[in-house]
Amino acid sequence: MTKSYAGHVAVKDLCLTVPRGCIFGLLGPNGAGKTTTLRMVMDILGPDSGTIEILGRPADRAALDRIGYMPEERGLYPRMALDEQLVFLAEIKGTPRAEARRRLPAWLERMGLAEWAPRKVIELSKGMQQKAQLVATLLHEPEVLILDEPMSGLDPLGADLVRGVLLEQRRQGRTVVLSSHQMETVERLCDSIGLINHGEKLLEGAISEVKSRYAKNTVVLSYDGDGSFLAGLPGVRSVNHFGRYVEVRMAEGADPQALLQAASARLRLSRFEVMEPSLHDIFVAAVAS
Amino acid sequence: MARLWPVVRREYLERVRSRAFLIATVAAPLLLAAVMLLPAVMMNQQYGRPLRVGLLDASGSLGGAVAAALAQRKMDGAARFVIETASGGARATDEAARLKRDVLSGRLDGYLYLPADALERSSAEYFGRNVSNVADLRLLDQAVEEVMIARRLAGQGLDPGHVKRLTRRLDLKTIRIGASGGEREDRGASALLSIILLMMLYTTVIMWGQVVMTSVIEEKTSRVVEVMVSSMPSARLFAGKLLGVGAAGLTQFLVWAAALAVIGVFAAGASGTLAGVRLPEAGPLVLGALVVFFLLGYFFYAALFAAIGAAVNTPQEAQTLVFPVFVPLVVGTMCFPLVLQSPDSPLSTVLSLLPPLTPLLMFLRITVLTPPWWQIALSIVLTGLAIAAVVWCAARIHRVGILMYGKRPTFPEILRWVRHA
Repeated sequence: MTKSYAGHVAVKDLCLTVPRGCIFGLLGPNGAGKTTTLRMVMDILGPDSGTIEILGRPADRAALDRIGYMPEERGLYPRMALDEQLVFLAEIKGTPRAEARRRLPAWLERMGLAEWAPRKVIELSKGMQQKAQLVATLLHEPEVLILDEPMSGLDPLGADLVRGVLLEQRRQGRTVVLSSHQMETVERLCDSIGLINHGEKLLEGAISEVKSRYAKNTVVLSYDGDGSFLAGLPGVRSVNHFGRYVEVRMAEGADPQALLQAASARLRLSRFEVMEPSLHDIFVAAVAS
Repeated sequence: MARLWPVVRREYLERVRSRAFLIATVAAPLLLAAVMLLPAVMMNQQYGRPLRVGLLDASGSLGGAVAAALAQRKMDGAARFVIETASGGARATDEAARLKRDVLSGRLDGYLYLPADALERSSAEYFGRNVSNVADLRLLDQAVEEVMIARRLAGQGLDPGHVKRLTRRLDLKTIRIGASGGEREDRGASALLSIILLMMLYTTVIMWGQVVMTSVIEEKTSRVVEVMVSSMPSARLFAGKLLGVGAAGLTQFLVWAAALAVIGVFAAGASGTLAGVRLPEAGPLVLGALVVFFLLGYFFYAALFAAIGAAVNTPQEAQTLVFPVFVPLVVGTMCFPLVLQSPDSPLSTVLSLLPPLTPLLMFLRITVLTPPWWQIALSIVLTGLAIAAVVWCAARIHRVGILMYGKRPTFPEILRWVRHA
């Protein structure tokens, strides 16, 4: 898909495939085009060119009903009672009213919102509204979830709650797409990722597969003694000191075994670990190339 | 349709449950009741006791007849005057002084003085502490005048009852001949209904059109709009809004109408003077047309308000765009005399077929003379299409406007949104 606003290209020839039944992370820095992409999937924005398929069929209204969408800009009707509102939002997605009412109490209980059910949304705290929004996204039992920055604005307990819900959804065979600029969140939750920057795709694939494409060139060491010679060893590109440990970045093609031998000859090592590249490192590398 | 219903219900309940709606719906009839019932109740208090009037006759010949005529005057079914005849003649001045004392002491409400030349000069005098009780004084005036005229006619050898029958006033009835040849008496009800429709449209457009607009804007302010448009096309959202808010407006009208009917009955009962007022006579065609054209008007103008709401982010931004919506209503009102004068002229026909003017002018034409059926049908179809077109445009504006922050768009920009959405 391609989408531009007034001369500025927000998304450029972007092509992503989300495998069914997995948690897919759409990654990218602020302004990368994540929200624009998700809005095009939800038919809030029309793409300038390109096509969208949902669950194997060209996107249409019927397909959109099978998606639960949590927009980046959260919003509920402020003066409407919470329970009525959630039932309403499920109804407009095609769930019969009685069915939505039957499902609601369990969700409210789980989110700790049960006693707030008859209150107006405006009386709820920000965190509670966020949880209410998640219920609104899930109550019609969609096959696909599209969540724009689901963790932003949540405290650690709230974030755990959301993470638990998303993992449960995946276990039930649903597909989850979430966008984030927090690499750590995605790294812990997602099976697959798509990395975009300036509206263009940099990387796409299962996390394990993406990581295997990048060499294991980072070594973490803990030791007693003066390690200042490490920076001068052949094959070492840089050394970062972190107080209780140092992180050594190796040059391309260099062998960590050589480093281990040189270091163990002169230092008492308590830790030597060849690290998997983090998504952060991969992202930096991908943007740099 | 099944998917439209939740939106209609939500919009309806949100309006009807709001405090503003409750206050307007309940307070307006109460205020009206106060305005209509209080004077009636107070009048009733005033009318409660008959007026005690002294009669001082210096003419010597009229007194008995006047006393008899006054005794027959009734108000609310009860005699209005209690007459106390004083002896006139030579001691008239003394008697006048005594009557005056009685009035001041409150034993009498006033006294009527018939001078010696009352019949010749056609004059009489009423003395009272209160001389602003217009209704009572008119009764008094009529009674004395009747006696004097009867006396003069009798002097000419004529029978007063006979003369009264001969000089009855003309009652000119205006009767409309409908297209099918049916005849119907019309006492200005047609024009009255047109004005009622105009007032209803103005109030509705001002009150409920703005509600539709605010509702569209509030969805953007609260950001719920993104959830809504990802769940349904904007056009369906707008249709739901127009129906739901319209139903709320209708509810208010019905409550007001019911209250008005109840107040009317009470007011009529309380004062007696309103009992004769009847609702304008109108045939089923005109009443049906009133409903149809009112609904067309509401939906057309409310859809325009929805389109404005779709283009802006705050009610303040909307204010400058609102004005043009009222232009067709004002133009329609200005065309009233023109259409009334010649409802069948080509100009009237064309004007009444223009969708923004149809609700006012086609209805006016129907009330004064039934236009050809094809014209009525055409106007309804055209306005229906116009409503659909406005809703369609509003939906397109909405699609672009949702995610436009910053400055208020100009009209050319809005047109561009409609073309490129």
